[in-house]
Amino acid sequence: MNSEQKPLAFFNEIYDCYQEAALAKVRDYDYNIAGFPIRLSFAGDALVNRLIPALAHLKTAHICEPLLTICIWDSTSTNTKIPPPSWEGQHLQKRGEIWGLNNDRIHTSFMWGANTLSMLDYERNLGIYWLNNYELLPYWETSSPLRTILQLWLNKKGVQMVHAGAVGIAEGGVLLVGKGGSGKSTTALSCLNSELFYASDDYTLITPNPVPFAYSIYSTGKKKPDDIDRLPFLKPIISNREKLGQEKAVYFLHDHFPEKIINSFPLKAVFIPRVTGKLETNLEKTNFTTGLSALVPSTIKQLPNTGKTACQIMMQIAQKLPCYYLNLGTNIEQIPEVIYQFLKG
Amino acid sequence: MEMQIAFKINSPKVVQETIDGEVVIVHLEKGDYYSLMNSGADIWNGIETGMSQTEIVAKMEAIYEGDSAEIASSVNNLIEELKAEEIIIPVEKNGHQITEITPVETKLKFEPATLGKYTDMEELLALDPIHEVDEMGWPNAKTQETF
Repeated sequence: MNSEQKPLAFFNEIYDCYQEAALAKVRDYDYNIAGFPIRLSFAGDALVNRLIPALAHLKTAHICEPLLTICIWDSTSTNTKIPPPSWEGQHLQKRGEIWGLNNDRIHTSFMWGANTLSMLDYERNLGIYWLNNYELLPYWETSSPLRTILQLWLNKKGVQMVHAGAVGIAEGGVLLVGKGGSGKSTTALSCLNSELFYASDDYTLITPNPVPFAYSIYSTGKKKPDDIDRLPFLKPIISNREKLGQEKAVYFLHDHFPEKIINSFPLKAVFIPRVTGKLETNLEKTNFTTGLSALVPSTIKQLPNTGKTACQIMMQIAQKLPCYYLNLGTNIEQIPEVIYQFLKG
Repeated sequence: MEMQIAFKINSPKVVQETIDGEVVIVHLEKGDYYSLMNSGADIWNGIETGMSQTEIVAKMEAIYEGDSAEIASSVNNLIEELKAEEIIIPVEKNGHQITEITPVETKLKFEPATLGKYTDMEELLALDPIHEVDEMGWPNAKTQETF
């Protein structure tokens, strides 16, 4: 077998394992993600309740012909095994790609820490998501599941997953950009207690044409444990209270605020939250390059196979929208008010 | 007086951000992602603040324990790589301003800087080799969320 054939051969080998695991039981869940009908096919039940809550707001009735199907299972609960690639030294790369198992048709990556395998066959529109033991799935995978497969497939459709939050109203919203700790989550989650609607706090799907548009993908929120007191109204709904020593607080918002989740809106601006320590929240105009600096590096760093196309989409979005610093004050209630007034103004 | 050369980031084609100690640089036209850590991040900080190459070497000698020739060579190599990748552009140093270099109490051992380059289809610098695998032969490292 030559090196060009290896990725497809490995995909097929793993897909055969899924089909074996699926002999006993398959559960299908259908979703509308950024306008695309997508099916999650679970072999067995074990991962269902760990992966679907974050997508609950996008669930649809049965789809006859999904454009993408993702096969999901774990070895422990299905009592099946899958063969590893022939690791030869440094075969696992920084963003998870497995050396030698990627080409124009097949993507293969393994996420350190989460220890999940993600594969995508672009030709068959078929994804594979596997891990050894469902009980070891970390909280960041349950709060934003299937990131790699979804972002790769959607990228080919002109939709880019970005490391950004988004809030707004039906007429329009803002993209909240910046690295971890910049205030994206505080800003986005504070909007649940306001006239604004919540699309996301950490990952958003964006498309530049015909006008910049944002799509919600995960109706979850996360906060560092030492910061949960800033949003006391969310404390009763922390889903992993017993693990806050090791994990961020995770909120499954569709369970508690279904009326506050919005699936999409046109984008009106890019906001860069930054903590000031002052009382008041205000906006400060900045330039396109500052917006891109806050958006692009943190997106590219963590999503496998992001490159030129992703950069082009993000540049198109930033070129079309005004960019502002959102100087965050300590009066949390004022944050959504400032955003709302901007959108209404 | 001899003209001092400093460098400027090739903006707006290049954007950069320091995330968890890693300088993440993206060339927007090429879509390539570059990474600098440790001594590389410190050299980058010198570039970003408008230091000349001589000043960057002096800064590195002030904060790292190592052979002066090796430090100078590493700074030169990284700057040449960054220029070749069109990430930085040489410029005349602003006025005759001399950048203050503050020595540190405990110097770190110097390791030569490396520029990690990652394209959308392949990663040219690998991370760690696979050390621990589970009973099926898959990696089972435990790490924390880093974002």
